[in-house]
Amino acid sequence: MMTIPGPVLSLRGVSKSFGPVQVLHGIDIDLHAGQVLALIGENGAGKSTTMKILAGYQPPTGGTILLDGQPATLSGLRAFEDAGIVLIHQEFNLAEQLTVEQNVFLGRELRRGLLLDKTRMRQLTRDYLDRLDCAVDPDTPVSKLSNSDKQMVEIAKALGRRARILIMDEPTAVLTGSEVDTLFAQIRVLRDAGTAVLFTSHKLGEVAAIADRVTVMRDGHVVRTDAARAMTEDDMATAMVGRDVSDLYPAKPGVAADAPMALRVAGLDVPGWASDIAFDLRAGEIVGIAGLIGSGRTEAMEGLCGLRPATTTRLEIAGNPVHVRSTQDALAHGLCYMTEDRKLRGLLLTKGMRDNLTLQALHRFGRVVIDRGAEDRALTQAIADFDIRAGNRDVAVGNLSGGNQQKLLLAKIMQSQPRVLIVDEPTRGIDIGTKQQIYAFLRRLAAEGRAIIVVSSELQEVIGLSDRVLVMRQGRIAATLADDDINEATILRHAIGVAAPQTRKAS
Amino acid sequence: MTTQTVTTRTPPPRRLPSMSVLGPILALVILVIVGALMNSSFLSAGNINNVLSRSAFIGIIAVGMTFVITAGGLDLSVGSMAAFIAGLMILVMNAALPSLGVGVPIILLGMAVALVAGILAGLLNGFFITTLGIEAFIVTLGSMGIYRSLVTWLADGGTLSLDFDLRTFYRPVYFDGILGIAWPIIVFAAVVIVGEILMSRTRFGRHCAATGSNAHVAHYSAVNVDRTRLATYAMLGLLVGVATIMYVPRLGSASASTGVLWELEAIAAVIIGGTVLKGGFGRVWGTVIGVLILGLIDNILNLTDLVSPYLNGAIQGVIIVLAVILQREAKAKG
Amino acid sequence: MSYMKTLLAGTAAIAIAGSAMAQDAETRVIGVSIPAATHGWAGGMNFHAQQAVERLEEVYPQLDFVLSTAPDAGTQVNDIEDMVATRNISALVVLPFESDPLTPPVQAVADSGVWVTVVDRGLSVPGIEDLYVAGDNTGFGRVSGEYMASKMPDGGNIVVLRGIPTTIDNERVAGFEEAIAGSGIEVIDMQHGNWNRDDSFNVMQDFLSKHPQIDAVWASDDDMAVGVLAAIEATDRTDVQFVLGGAGMKEMVQRVMNGDTMIPADVTYPPSMIATAIEMTAVGLTSTAPVSGTFTIGSVLITPENAEQFYYPDSPF
Repeated sequence: MMTIPGPVLSLRGVSKSFGPVQVLHGIDIDLHAGQVLALIGENGAGKSTTMKILAGYQPPTGGTILLDGQPATLSGLRAFEDAGIVLIHQEFNLAEQLTVEQNVFLGRELRRGLLLDKTRMRQLTRDYLDRLDCAVDPDTPVSKLSNSDKQMVEIAKALGRRARILIMDEPTAVLTGSEVDTLFAQIRVLRDAGTAVLFTSHKLGEVAAIADRVTVMRDGHVVRTDAARAMTEDDMATAMVGRDVSDLYPAKPGVAADAPMALRVAGLDVPGWASDIAFDLRAGEIVGIAGLIGSGRTEAMEGLCGLRPATTTRLEIAGNPVHVRSTQDALAHGLCYMTEDRKLRGLLLTKGMRDNLTLQALHRFGRVVIDRGAEDRALTQAIADFDIRAGNRDVAVGNLSGGNQQKLLLAKIMQSQPRVLIVDEPTRGIDIGTKQQIYAFLRRLAAEGRAIIVVSSELQEVIGLSDRVLVMRQGRIAATLADDDINEATILRHAIGVAAPQTRKAS
Repeated sequence: MTTQTVTTRTPPPRRLPSMSVLGPILALVILVIVGALMNSSFLSAGNINNVLSRSAFIGIIAVGMTFVITAGGLDLSVGSMAAFIAGLMILVMNAALPSLGVGVPIILLGMAVALVAGILAGLLNGFFITTLGIEAFIVTLGSMGIYRSLVTWLADGGTLSLDFDLRTFYRPVYFDGILGIAWPIIVFAAVVIVGEILMSRTRFGRHCAATGSNAHVAHYSAVNVDRTRLATYAMLGLLVGVATIMYVPRLGSASASTGVLWELEAIAAVIIGGTVLKGGFGRVWGTVIGVLILGLIDNILNLTDLVSPYLNGAIQGVIIVLAVILQREAKAKG
Repeated sequence: MSYMKTLLAGTAAIAIAGSAMAQDAETRVIGVSIPAATHGWAGGMNFHAQQAVERLEEVYPQLDFVLSTAPDAGTQVNDIEDMVATRNISALVVLPFESDPLTPPVQAVADSGVWVTVVDRGLSVPGIEDLYVAGDNTGFGRVSGEYMASKMPDGGNIVVLRGIPTTIDNERVAGFEEAIAGSGIEVIDMQHGNWNRDDSFNVMQDFLSKHPQIDAVWASDDDMAVGVLAAIEATDRTDVQFVLGGAGMKEMVQRVMNGDTMIPADVTYPPSMIATAIEMTAVGLTSTAPVSGTFTIGSVLITPENAEQFYYPDSPF
């Protein structure tokens, strides 16, 4: 490893207040050329604000920013960009209808005389993408790209701005496992070329894999900075949460053999996605559904709940045969689905918490005229039950942190008083402390006698939560696992179709 | 489970209502003051009655438009729909005159025709938009042309006039009222009150806002998005019928020039009132303010001689844009 | 329904005309291009055009007619180009939607040797047309003004409702103001009612609020007069003695005929001028009678004495 000179970008005693609320308390952070720094912390710890200050989106209210060891007098986004500092947002900042090349040069188009110099722009785009080992055609519209390719385009865009300091806000949140590997390979290429990289992630395994150094934040303070090698994942989690989180998953009390049957599904067909799905579920039970992305997990559950066209040969809820053709039918029978996409399908981001909480269950709040008092009481109760933290009850939901949005979403679904609750990716993009809370909520709901299905891409989550696990492959149930069969290796084998012969098959 | 202590915060002190609430009210108050200074008869009971009665048609339609826009839709056909319904109503009433004679039954028949035709026209728009999934702009642009042509055809290019005796009998529905308040104003007020309750206090209003805000979220929240949208168009059609019932007794006639540009006035009133054009948020009381602002501008320009009549349109345009800027300014500040 | 019949008849006539042309090379075609029936007067004009075409096709078997209506100037230009290209017209009767945009295409038609008759609105360049059947807007205003002056020998306060801001409206108002000059009549207010009943109703309501004493109203158009009358009826004001409209709408002519004191007279601006133009063009094509030049159709005052001869109960206007 090369010798490290002084840091290229530093914060010294930086603090930040929004009105009376202080969110950063005199923090110190150093970014070195040729190093990857992971910035970790729970939602609301101040990571986002720190990144925004580093990239010039917001000025600090106190402290100094040092660029190459000198106090920087940069003001405005453009000045930071000119200094080679680029922030890549979690939600991509790309014009979907434009091509890759047009995006890379958006706002900085090269010109020859009055006309655009297309040849040169295409050549340069190709160069940037080559440096990233990315085979995307510069003429492809961005809307056609996968999330990982979009990420690459963002990085190529940064290269086009001669970035020497790259700040990435949760770059892996929307990527699949293999896409993450590709991204990390490219981050290493950039690092070895001397770029300073700062990134955030909630997945501590990734942090251990890619970071050279780790800075942990909690409640607006930097609580620990260390070499990545010197910290275990448990160390990181403990530092972030401020307490021991080794028991992430609640204990499984087991399902009584005589527990009433809550849901019985036979011959569920979702055209184009899933066929011949059959399973059952007892009250008090948590069943996990695992499978690769594209295995039809989400679509099968959406079909079951009337969210997309589907047929079943038999569907029983609490022992009664029922028909579900619409979401309204599903709701009437106590069958509720919590979407994996809280921002686009789960919550109205511009509305307040109250409107969101009761949207799905308005019939419970007054026959003709909505009883706002009852709504307010329900919100108070939900805030207490699900530990939702928002400064102000009237705040637009889009301004809540991901974890609090997820808790609100769960609270919203619970307003419909489901007997069978299907949660899809219940902890995507939220911090470990909140994860632990949500796992505890789910187990508590099961203990109250509800039946729960957990769909998740995170194997650990499925394993940690489920009493039984259904593994899906190519639109069918490949296996039903219980007890000791619930382990990573067995689930993966069924998910990719190399199952050992002795494994029990689905009935 | 482990629960961390929640930092308790004192509730924020009651602030003044935001500019998005105050903006339209402020604009209206300024207009009223300007009007009162310009002409002493501006605040007379007669003038106020005139302006409110005249605004009632657009107002009743604009209340319906508020729901359509809130649910993420748009309807450009309301002006020509009103003209068509007015024409149809006159034809039916004239045709029924020999059998029914002048009296209450024939008026009720005309009203029933207007309401049924309105609902059907609204449902038709809604059907193409929701079930067939065609852009609201295109569907209603099409039906705008269709209804305008139909009324021209019905009137043979001229004017359809209600039988003179019938008109005399029907006339009080526009010009009379209770305690000096004209019927159109009373009906408008009733529509507004029902609309405001519907929008802010019922499931339907919430469902409209949710649908317009994000149709996916609404769908995943078990809101029947298509039925909600269809209902907004049907409701708007019904209200166009109500507006027509109040319009026909005024002049007793309908022609190709009836209701021209009413759709744009209604949409302008809705937006001035603070409803978001791309949907997701609507307020009926704001729409009322928007309607009054538009009505008063015309009135004030007629009552004063300060501005060349050629510039009336420019004054209107400036005030509409100002009323909206007043709100946006506030939004930017937070 | 009679509307349906009229339409069908018109379509049939055109269809027959088309087949006849194919058979008989001697058949000559007259194209008629007019604005669509978007308001009362235009509706009447459409009616008279259709009547004239039907009548003349029977009178002159050797003539065919193509009638097209346009909602705007651009469409009218397209219509005329289509007539020349596909129907090989020998004569064009055109009532221009607007003068300026129609002048070049009509000039091109005239240059190709087609007989051109222009109606009502003149073209921007003089001398293009073979025949100009003109309405007299200044005369319309003057006749109205002279009547007002004679009806109010002691002068008085009047309000004026104007049409859509156009040259037509300007000429009418100029003629009117000239005629009342020195008569003691004072125009205390003037606003645009846009030849529209609803607009004129609103304007008149506001005039009534604003002015305590209005002796008479020059509504300048019968549609606007309808709105004005409704506004006056709704109040208990007795100061307004009469309303003078214009154009000769049948309901108004009837009221004049019946001796209604609020509508003591009307001034013609006959929509039937289109029929005159078509007929003169037909005569020009089929005979040697000289019809070229300018033929001005003056505005005439309708009074109870002569009202009967201006009353067309079948016209929609």
